[in-house]
Amino acid sequence: MHSSFTRLQNVFGFFTTVAFVLGAFIAATDLGAPRTPSGIIKTDNVQVVKGRPHYYSPKKEEYAIIRFSLEADLSSLFTWNTKQLFVYVTADWTGPDNANNSAVIWDSIITNPSADHLQNLGPIAMKKLKKSAEGKSIAPERGLLKLKNQKPKYQITHPSGKIAETPDVTLRLHYNVQPWVGLLTWNMDKPFGVWQAMSGGVSDYFTLPALKSKDSKAKDAKDKAGAKSKTKSKKP
Amino acid sequence: MFASLQNPRHLAAQIMNFGLVLSTAFMMWKGLSIVSDSPSPIVVVLSGSMEPAFQRGDLLFLWNRQLLSETAVGEVVVYNVKDKDIPIVHRIVRKFGHGDKAKYLTKGDNNVADDTELFAKGQDYLERSDMIGSVVGYIPFVGYVTILLSEYPWLKTVMLGIMGLMVVLQRE
Repeated sequence: MHSSFTRLQNVFGFFTTVAFVLGAFIAATDLGAPRTPSGIIKTDNVQVVKGRPHYYSPKKEEYAIIRFSLEADLSSLFTWNTKQLFVYVTADWTGPDNANNSAVIWDSIITNPSADHLQNLGPIAMKKLKKSAEGKSIAPERGLLKLKNQKPKYQITHPSGKIAETPDVTLRLHYNVQPWVGLLTWNMDKPFGVWQAMSGGVSDYFTLPALKSKDSKAKDAKDKAGAKSKTKSKKP
Repeated sequence: MFASLQNPRHLAAQIMNFGLVLSTAFMMWKGLSIVSDSPSPIVVVLSGSMEPAFQRGDLLFLWNRQLLSETAVGEVVVYNVKDKDIPIVHRIVRKFGHGDKAKYLTKGDNNVADDTELFAKGQDYLERSDMIGSVVGYIPFVGYVTILLSEYPWLKTVMLGIMGLMVVLQRE
């Protein structure tokens, strides 16, 4: 039957089919884009301090503050279907009974210029970000990271509240590619097709230091003459 | 136009057809649910806490099996807080231990603080059983219809009415 309704229905049906096929095709092109991520990560200054999970908490826990340096090349992860790259650094250690522990100490959202307008930024930072890749829709150079003595975004602890003197901790660089359409992908242990596993990206083993005692803290404060020496006791 | 209404056999066939469409959709949904081992294999993003990656109305595909490896830090999971029925899509930022007793902490990429405040009273960490899947696939915008439908309830009535009318009036 040829009523205007069936015509409308056909047009809509055709539109959705085309849209889905196109989406599937775009998602599939990811598999053909080689990925060669690499990174070098090492710890700088590591401290363990006492703090409270939140302001009113009577409980005191130990928090590790791990400063680190990172040099990474994730530029190959930026393609036309990359909406954003979520880069994060975890501290991993094995506790008693072989319990694996893992906690993010730093992360960053790196958008492709096509997704810059979606970022949650103030007007000035947004202007700067947009200007940094003017006229480009793909910006692989944003995948080149160089951090020196970077302060962690999150101070980490263990549910037991004890974390000082933990042995064999490693820092590990991870990424998560979030596409405009298709599958989300993470860094892999093994290569897959034209995607290579991350080369490097793991720090040497290190041991968390003993708790910073009150005396050493006071001494520190004196050394720095009151300049930003107070340790934050806020929940990370 | 109303010819079909005068022929009861035709009308019955149309109603049958409508039922078939509905049950096929339902079967596909449940089939996907079995394959992915998730009670809700496709979810619509309701909040902006994972922006800019996921926005309101985007469609997410979930996978709830741990075939090759356990759910790990960095995965984006959908979980339900105890006694609350709102699914939340956030990223795992901490994991302590392994297996069923592992403790997970989550955070939205766009949020400043982690989810401790969102959890139930006395709950500091999530367990694997609180999660209904981790996000593996993404289609933008398609789910916005459901947000419109839940925000403007009269749209539901209108759409159901139109759909029913069309199916009944439609001729082969």
